[in-house]
Amino acid sequence: MALIPPRPAPVPTSGPVYWLRRNLFSGPFNTVLTLVTGAVVAWALYNLATFVFVDASWEQVWRNMKLFGVYRYPTQYLWRPLLVAGVMLGLMGAMSGVAGRRSIIGSAFFALQGFVALVSVVAVLFWPSVRFLWPMALAIGFAGYLVGLRWPRVVRHLPWAWTVWLVGGAVLLLGVDSGGPFGRVPIRDWGGFLLTLILFTGIVPSFPIGVALALGRQSKLPAIKYFCIGFIEVVRGAPLIMWLFIASLLLPLILDVDANSLPAIMRAYVAITLFSAAYMAENVRGGLQAVPRGQSEAARALGLSAWQTTYLIVLPQALRAVIPAIVGQAIGLFKDTSLVFIVGLVDFFKVADIVSVQPESLLVTGGVKLEVFLFIAAIYFFFAYRMSIASRQLERRLGVGER
Amino acid sequence: MTDVATARQPVRADAPAGGTKVIEMIGVNKWYGEFHVLKDIHLSVNKGEVVVVIGPSGSGKSTLIRCINRLEEHQEGKIVVDGVELTDDVRAIDQIRRETGMVFQSFNLFPHLTVLDNITLAPIRVRKWKKSKAEERARYFLEKVGIPEQASKYPGQLSGGQQQRVAIARSLTMEPKVMLFDEPTSALDPEVIGEVLDVMVNLAKEGMTMVVVTHEMGFAREVGDRVVFMDAGQIVEVGTPEHFFTNPHEERTRAFLSKIL
Repeated sequence: MALIPPRPAPVPTSGPVYWLRRNLFSGPFNTVLTLVTGAVVAWALYNLATFVFVDASWEQVWRNMKLFGVYRYPTQYLWRPLLVAGVMLGLMGAMSGVAGRRSIIGSAFFALQGFVALVSVVAVLFWPSVRFLWPMALAIGFAGYLVGLRWPRVVRHLPWAWTVWLVGGAVLLLGVDSGGPFGRVPIRDWGGFLLTLILFTGIVPSFPIGVALALGRQSKLPAIKYFCIGFIEVVRGAPLIMWLFIASLLLPLILDVDANSLPAIMRAYVAITLFSAAYMAENVRGGLQAVPRGQSEAARALGLSAWQTTYLIVLPQALRAVIPAIVGQAIGLFKDTSLVFIVGLVDFFKVADIVSVQPESLLVTGGVKLEVFLFIAAIYFFFAYRMSIASRQLERRLGVGER
Repeated sequence: MTDVATARQPVRADAPAGGTKVIEMIGVNKWYGEFHVLKDIHLSVNKGEVVVVIGPSGSGKSTLIRCINRLEEHQEGKIVVDGVELTDDVRAIDQIRRETGMVFQSFNLFPHLTVLDNITLAPIRVRKWKKSKAEERARYFLEKVGIPEQASKYPGQLSGGQQQRVAIARSLTMEPKVMLFDEPTSALDPEVIGEVLDVMVNLAKEGMTMVVVTHEMGFAREVGDRVVFMDAGQIVEVGTPEHFFTNPHEERTRAFLSKIL
């Protein structure tokens, strides 16, 4: 029997070389295109890197970390927001320890710890008043993680721990009138990233309000139905900036109360929450319409009441369908909080503006505007992108029972 | 001749005398907007009876059984189920729905719940059973429809025939007095229709009161006590399966049966 002579191996149809050849160099025209685009991108990246690592003067950013973080919150009380942040990290860490590193909460926790670690480095180098507090917050986070890992039963205590954190944190940030280490810090002195985060939490109350508006819009009772439609359409019909103005300037006039009786932050918070609720309602409505009629018919045919049908059958499916839209809205709101500078609040974004015109900043040749705004852009991006990752993970996990 | 007569005088599909009437529809009329979809329906069903409703699509047969548990509202006439009249009274509607199981053409299982949760939801929430009892009964009926091993899966992981059997188990676990079937096999692949029909045949032989809208003439012949033929929103002819399949009176009935048999 004749031996089959060996043949050369076939041209590989996988691997990086194949991929390059197929996608980037598949003909003379594409090769030229690839080379030109590559050159432009490389040139731009080189320039950016030169700026970031050589030409830029980041000193003003690092020196003003306190302004970026909390603005006018008194330096001697800085341990209070940091303790709140540390405990939050600890609780998230405990949840992550129980749920595992690769869970949604776990991956978010480690990303956040990475962020806090970077801030800790900056704090150790440039921020003497909280030099040790930032690394401690980081440590509390990891301690929480180890506790969760070692004793998974802590999960049972987490709900009330979060409640204590929420209430205790608010009280701690606000302080009491007696002075001393717990001295009062009026809400008008809150600012920077702390304020941005607080305004962002407006998404939380806006969720139930939005769901209620969406359900109300489908109500058979005309009073409820038209109130909901009217609210949604009117609120969506004007820009957020206008509602912030109305909330902070016109509302005290309309209600005939002293403009100072309600802190500006609260007025802006209410405006942001209601604005977000109107958009939330439309997102949820889209989800409600995506649930087939047969679902509620089957539930009603089994004897479930209209209310049970809504919250056991229709809403869970509707909300799952609109997770991407809701997270998209959260990301949008996170960035839109920067508009509150228009009513005199100093959030993270406004601090960048303030820092860039400080006398020290103006002494720097060429100014520091670019540095400062690149810095806040990076931070906005980090949080927005994290939310988008969490949303994708959530979708994948909830996809289990999909039709 | 007979056609004119039936048009004037509605055909009454009354249950045989002597039984206990579970469903009674008296002179029921319904319109969708201007469209007269149910015309003078007189139909009653005795306890333990299996009534099969046949007819061309658009003849109102689905609307008819959906009126029995108020998924559709009738505008004229009277519907009494298990001694309770259907009115706008929500409590009466809820009571009737508790005692009436319904199986849909498109299954309508809840995709976000496991098979077991699909089945135990209503017993726990509506009948206020303990979870353990509800699950025990759910497993009993899953066993009965032949898929006890699927309890922890999601509906999307099951075949159409399995889903429909879960839907039947879901209704049965509520221990209804009547089961309504709205074309239960029409959305199924031909090779799994049999497994669903087997479940229904067993149910009929155990004495369940059933109203079945279907095109499965084999089922009608095997377990149907009475067959009701509907066309254009009215009952055209009523009789035993033998009567229907050997010697139907009406021209329209004959035309319909010749097409599907």
